[in-house]
This record gives sequence, structure tokens and C-alpha cells, in this order.
Amino acid sequence: MAAASPAGFDPRLAWPLGSFLALLFAVPLAMLLVISLQTGDGYGFGQYAKFLTDWFSLRILGGTLRLGVEVTIACLVLGFPLAWLHARSPGWAKSAITLVVLLPLLTSVVVRTFAWIVILGRQGIINNALVGAGLIDTPLRLLYTEGGVVAALAQVQMPLMVLPLVAALGRADPNLADAASILGAGAWRTWRTVVLPLAMPGIIAGCLLTFTASVTAFITQSLVGGGQMMFMPAYVLQQAIALGDMPFAAAISVIFLVCVLIVVALLSLLGRRSRAHV
Amino acid sequence: MNRRTLLTSALTLAAMRAFPGISYAQARPLVFATFTGSWEEAHKAILVPAYRKATNNAGIVLDPMLSVDQIAKVTAARNNPPIDVQLHDPGPGLIAIAQGLVEPYPVDRSAYYKDLLPVAQEPMGPAAFFQVVGLTYNPETIKTPPTSWADLWNPAYKGKVGITNLASTLGTGFLVEIARMYGGSEANVDPGFTALAKLKPSLSAVASNPGALASLFQQGQIDISPGNYNAIQILKAQGVPVEWVAPKEGAIAFRTTMHITKNSPNPELAFKLIEAALSPEVQTALMQEPYLVTPTNTKVKMSGAVAKDLAPDADTMNKKFKFQDWAKINEQRAAWIARFNREMAG
Repeated sequence: MAAASPAGFDPRLAWPLGSFLALLFAVPLAMLLVISLQTGDGYGFGQYAKFLTDWFSLRILGGTLRLGVEVTIACLVLGFPLAWLHARSPGWAKSAITLVVLLPLLTSVVVRTFAWIVILGRQGIINNALVGAGLIDTPLRLLYTEGGVVAALAQVQMPLMVLPLVAALGRADPNLADAASILGAGAWRTWRTVVLPLAMPGIIAGCLLTFTASVTAFITQSLVGGGQMMFMPAYVLQQAIALGDMPFAAAISVIFLVCVLIVVALLSLLGRRSRAHV
Repeated sequence: MNRRTLLTSALTLAAMRAFPGISYAQARPLVFATFTGSWEEAHKAILVPAYRKATNNAGIVLDPMLSVDQIAKVTAARNNPPIDVQLHDPGPGLIAIAQGLVEPYPVDRSAYYKDLLPVAQEPMGPAAFFQVVGLTYNPETIKTPPTSWADLWNPAYKGKVGITNLASTLGTGFLVEIARMYGGSEANVDPGFTALAKLKPSLSAVASNPGALASLFQQGQIDISPGNYNAIQILKAQGVPVEWVAPKEGAIAFRTTMHITKNSPNPELAFKLIEAALSPEVQTALMQEPYLVTPTNTKVKMSGAVAKDLAPDADTMNKKFKFQDWAKINEQRAAWIARFNREMAG
């Protein structure tokens, strides 16, 4: 093929995908907005007022965002050492770690979530082990608790955190850390002033992916959380399908979307500032 | 076949998948929205062959989905509905009728309609099956079988009771039944909510759907719950230790109705499918192992496990089953779901 230049491109090439996205993304989003503005007898912000003045709804929103933060922190704390190990390992170990990280992605989320039901159940692995070891007499309630949801989601979403971290740490020159220690910096200081800033783009990207994926993870939330714990995706479904209240469901979706976008914007801002720093 | 023809046929096939309207514009096979799981299996094995025989091998597609999803899909395309025959639980069935999504059933032409139990005779779409709800329990941990709904409140089962939320027919029907038990009714479920509040400390799980309830028995997470007779049969067949018993207050029965969709391009085939489902032959076959579906046609001679566990004949069924007034229930169900959200939040 005789391309003009490797860097040059024809903007018309973006047309197919552009029109595809416009048709299947922008139009439905606009429809969602219009539906959310419907009130009983006309158009207005009634549905939004209903949500924002209702403690129960606000608690669901707050609980969902808190869940996202908890899962993101868990993934970051557990994933960072793994990514660090990956960056510092020889070639064969790198492949092994990559395989272990990617392995969960090869199984469906439903299957992984059911595995967590087996692990957390009254007669699950954890309870059986604890009872067997004589540490507890009656099985603990682990399934259908927020802790259970966080644990399951952290495992399910872990690759989304580790992969960007691996990419960021892999790009960092290992000589930089060595240079820092030669210049007299301790392990902690090296990590804080050299490794962390270099890993920042990966951390931001990982947090973004993990957060958005876990607040919207309907399957894991409802299967491990159960019918007593309500998160935003299930709330939307309940209003739209069980109650047939499309305008309110649309308004909840828009509010949820805006909240997630705010978090995304804050994280991107943080990312831009950290890049400026490096 | 050269590359170009391969590409053309691949693109055509892809387009047909993406826009089924193209291929089905002239004559599409009958689309029957059954329910998922054992329903689909039973209908595939018994009802579809009977329909093919009655229609000289006409085409049919099963598209299993929940009642509420059927309503959403038909509402979204009223003039060109993607479903010809809808299958509904009592609550959504009445909503489909009220929203004008279904045709009246041609009762005069029906050979079987008059033989149905009175409660199954719905001129906007007759009931071909009953779903029966009683108590499900684990016989390995609960040695004396429960006899009453009140047994769920037995302190011995503390931390081992499961229920579902009100999004399901099962959950709402259960709430109404315990409300009735404590002096309430379909119009007033306050006593039911009071009783649920007392049940809260005993609850090990509030499942988000009845299917999840089944897996909780499998995991030993719960030992007793209100449960659907047919859902239990699948678990039992898998070797899970579960038993089902009708409480002495009477098992709750839901009618499962079949409706011809308004503006369906296949009204005659839809009628033939529903006729087949109402016929004593199909209902008798569905009543056998492993399906054990409760018949609605009084001409069916009750036999086997269904006769033993539920009712020996149609007359007993009519007397013993607790049918609920879903028109009344639908009036307030949204408010109950909101109330359940709040009062039962974990």
C-alpha cells in the first residue's frame, strides 16, 4: 500500500465509526435526557427534584459511590505491589504474572460472581475453614454484606487496575530508582519521589477504569449484595422494569451518569497535574 | 465460491441478524415469548411438537424472557410487535391487558376454553398453567416438616430463612398471603409488613429474584423459604436436599396466562399455539415427570406427583388453592416495592 506518510491520515476515515457512535450513543443519550424531563402532565425537572429531595434515593447514590471508592482502594492497594513485582521481574516471571492477571478476564463475570457465592456462603470455603479451625462456632454472615460485595468486586475488577499500572511502571526506567538510592535516598523516599510520580498516569487510569466498572457492576452487586442492598444500577432497573416509571428511571440514570462523570473529570484533572509534575 | 460472493453472503447474514425486520417482513415464524429455564425446556419438548402437528409444521421461535421484558418490548413497537404470543404472570398479565397490548381471545372458536377452571377463564388471554407456591425446606437440617407459613417465624430457624424482594410475583404474592393471615387483604398489606419486620432478624437472605433463592439452598445459605413447586423439582433432580410442602393455610396459586399480541402478523398461528397449550393432551403430558406443571383444564385427569403433592382433582384445586386478586394488588404494588426498599434495607 502506498500511504502518503505514516503520520498523515484522512479525517474521512473516522466517518464510519463517528456516525455509528452518533447513531447508537448520542441519539439514545438525548432520548434519555428528554424522557427524564417528562413529568405527569408536561416537561420539567420534577423527576430530578423527586430524587434529590428523597433521603432514601440519596443514600443509594452515596452507597454506590462509596462502594466504588472502596473497591478502587482495595484494587490499588492489592494491585500496586503486583504491578511493581511485574516491572522488577525477569522475562519469564513477567509472562507468568501477566497470565495470572489476565486469567480472570477469560471467565465470564457471572461465573466469577457465582464462585464468590460459593466462597462466601454459610457453608462456603471461608466459613468451613474458620469453623474447622475452631475459631468460630456458628458460620459468619459474609454473603449479602457490603464487605462481601467489595471483596468480590475487587477480584472481578482487579485486571482493570493492574494492567494500566503494569504499563506505567514498565515504561519507567529502573535505573532511575537505582540512581535515587545511589544518591542517598532511602527505599521509602525513592518510592515516594521517583516511583510514585512515574506510576501516576497508570494509577489514574486504573482508578478510572476500576471505579466506573465497579459502580455499574450490576451482576456482581445484585448476586453478592442480594435484595436488601440496593445500588444505583438495580434502582434504575427496578424503577424502569418492575414499576414501569421510565421518566424517574431516566432521571436516576442521568444523575448517576453526571456523578460518575464528575469523578472521572476529577481524576483526569489529577492526572494532568501529575503529568505536569513529571 | 469466490471471495466476493462469500463477502456478500456474510454481509447479508450479518444484516439479517442486525435487522431481523428485513428477513421477516413477509412471513415470519410465530414468536412465542416463554419464560427461561424449565419453562422453555418443557415448552420445547411438549408444546412445540403439539403446535407443529396442529399447524402442519408451521414455523415457531421460542424467545424466553420475563413478563416485564415482554411488556417493555411490545410497548416499544406496538405497530410491529416482535412477539406474537405473550406468557404472563398474573400481575404483568393484567398490565398488558390494561395497556392494550393484547387481543381478546377468540373464545367462541376455542375447543377448550369452556373446560378451564373458572379462575383460568380470562377472555383477554386464558391461563394454560398454574404456578403453586408453598414452603421449601432442607429436610437434612429441618427434620419436622413445616406445616404453616407461621413456621418461618420459628426461632429455631433464625438466620436460615430466605425470601425474595417484591420485584417478583413470588415475593409480592407471599407478602399478600401473610397480610391475609394476620387480618389484612390485597387492599391492606400493613399486617404483612409488620410480620416481615418481625421476620427480619431471622433472615439469612433477601434474594433479588426467585432463581437466586434456588442457588442459596444449594449453598446451604438458607434452609427454609417460600418457594415455587416447579422450581424445587429442578433442584431435587440435581440431588439438592430440598422438599416442598403446601402450608395448611393453602398453597398460593398464580395463573400463567397466554395472550395473542395486538397487531401480531400471525394471529391465527398464535391462536393455534394457545389452543394446543389449553388442550388436555398437552397439559397431561406437561404434568408428568420431570416438568410437573399444574394443569388448568378440568378434563385433565390428575395423576402422579402433582396429584399427590398439590391436588387430586380439579375440584380440590379450585377449593384448596389460594388465588389472589392481582387487579387490586397492581393498584398499590409500586408503593409496596418502595416501602419494602425502605423498611427491609439491610
